[in-house]
Amino acid sequence: MPSRTRPIDRVAAAAARCSKEGATYGKCIVADYNNVHKDKCLTEFLKLKECYLVSIRHGSN
Amino acid sequence: MNTFSIRAFIPPLTLRFIPIRATRRYAVQAPGAPTFEIFSHQHKWMQKERAAADAQTSRNVDYLRDEVASRLCERLLDINRHFPHVLDLGANACNIARMLTLPSEDSPDAGPRSKRISKLTAADSSETLLHRDADLPFNNEIEIYRKVLSAPETLPYEANTFDAVLSSLSLHWINDLPSILSQVNNILKPDSPFIGVMMGGDSLFELRTSLQLAELDRRGGVSTHTSPLADVRDVGGLLQRAGFNLLTVDVDDIVVDFPDSFSLMKDLQAMGESNAVLAREKGAIQKDVLLAAEGIYRELHGNEDGSLPATFRLIYMIGWKPSPNQAKPLERGTGMFSIKDFLENEKNEEGGGDK
Repeated sequence: MPSRTRPIDRVAAAAARCSKEGATYGKCIVADYNNVHKDKCLTEFLKLKECYLVSIRHGSN
Repeated sequence: MNTFSIRAFIPPLTLRFIPIRATRRYAVQAPGAPTFEIFSHQHKWMQKERAAADAQTSRNVDYLRDEVASRLCERLLDINRHFPHVLDLGANACNIARMLTLPSEDSPDAGPRSKRISKLTAADSSETLLHRDADLPFNNEIEIYRKVLSAPETLPYEANTFDAVLSSLSLHWINDLPSILSQVNNILKPDSPFIGVMMGGDSLFELRTSLQLAELDRRGGVSTHTSPLADVRDVGGLLQRAGFNLLTVDVDDIVVDFPDSFSLMKDLQAMGESNAVLAREKGAIQKDVLLAAEGIYRELHGNEDGSLPATFRLIYMIGWKPSPNQAKPLERGTGMFSIKDFLENEKNEEGGGDK
């Protein structure tokens, strides 16, 4: 059996630790989802990504 | 001019990975409407082979196929006759065969559901998936033959061969549905049923919408991540066009709750149901988009307990091959009594009777 964790599992775990930022980003998109354009919620996404990058680095150690 | 083909030197397994277009052939197209190629059969085949190679993971995600196959078997049992030879078209891991060896949920003591079936032929294009469960004990309880289809859209059977054709969750990867349904009609004996179920309509609309919104925001455009699917109203027309009589089409929604969108996508992959649309974007989906889609999925569709629902819309279809001595609907206006009176009488009797 493969004992190593798959990359997708690490991504899922890291994303789950950023649920607060994820919710903020989701709310920003869903608030007006008929009118989404590129980088509509850039600041919220950057916060989410920053948290995710920190989280995935900690998760791998 | 001599054309040199390297096809003869390629081992048979890798042959399947190489597009047919690499060889030169006469281009022949059947007259009539041109057929559109939407799904890549090679890619689908590869996904199924890979998924089935990990037998344990593949068995863990059989929950959907087993449930659907079980509901399909119930529909077959509603027909009160004996079926000497049944074809399971697009059998996946022979889920229908396994469900047939179990007793019906309505009458657990009545023995296996396969009593009325003598012989079952399971046909699928993916050999590994088809033979995944060939060693399990249920194979001894039912007479089952496995057949690997070399071309998923051409059925290698003579006309008037089968007493019933079943198909569970594989018709949604067929490019030319009208053709495959006509072929099914052809291989059925007269007055025999075709009972099929396919994904349709709004299946996985939650995943579809969140990926679209995430891509719009992150990349400024939308690409295809979920298949186009047939709708309920299309299916009736398709069956009629293929020459089936006495049609029944109905819809069933199964909603599965997942902890997050990643586990949904992982399960779909393990089922071998990943995206195989020809026009898809090649390569993996961007991690930014996945991250964004997870947040949007949770916000837009998430349940209160934190799980994410995924809707599978199943379209069940039953059609009968025409035969001269088949029961036919009566002419309009020939009804001799009113159904309203009948139903009202029934209600009064139940209400005022011994009950």
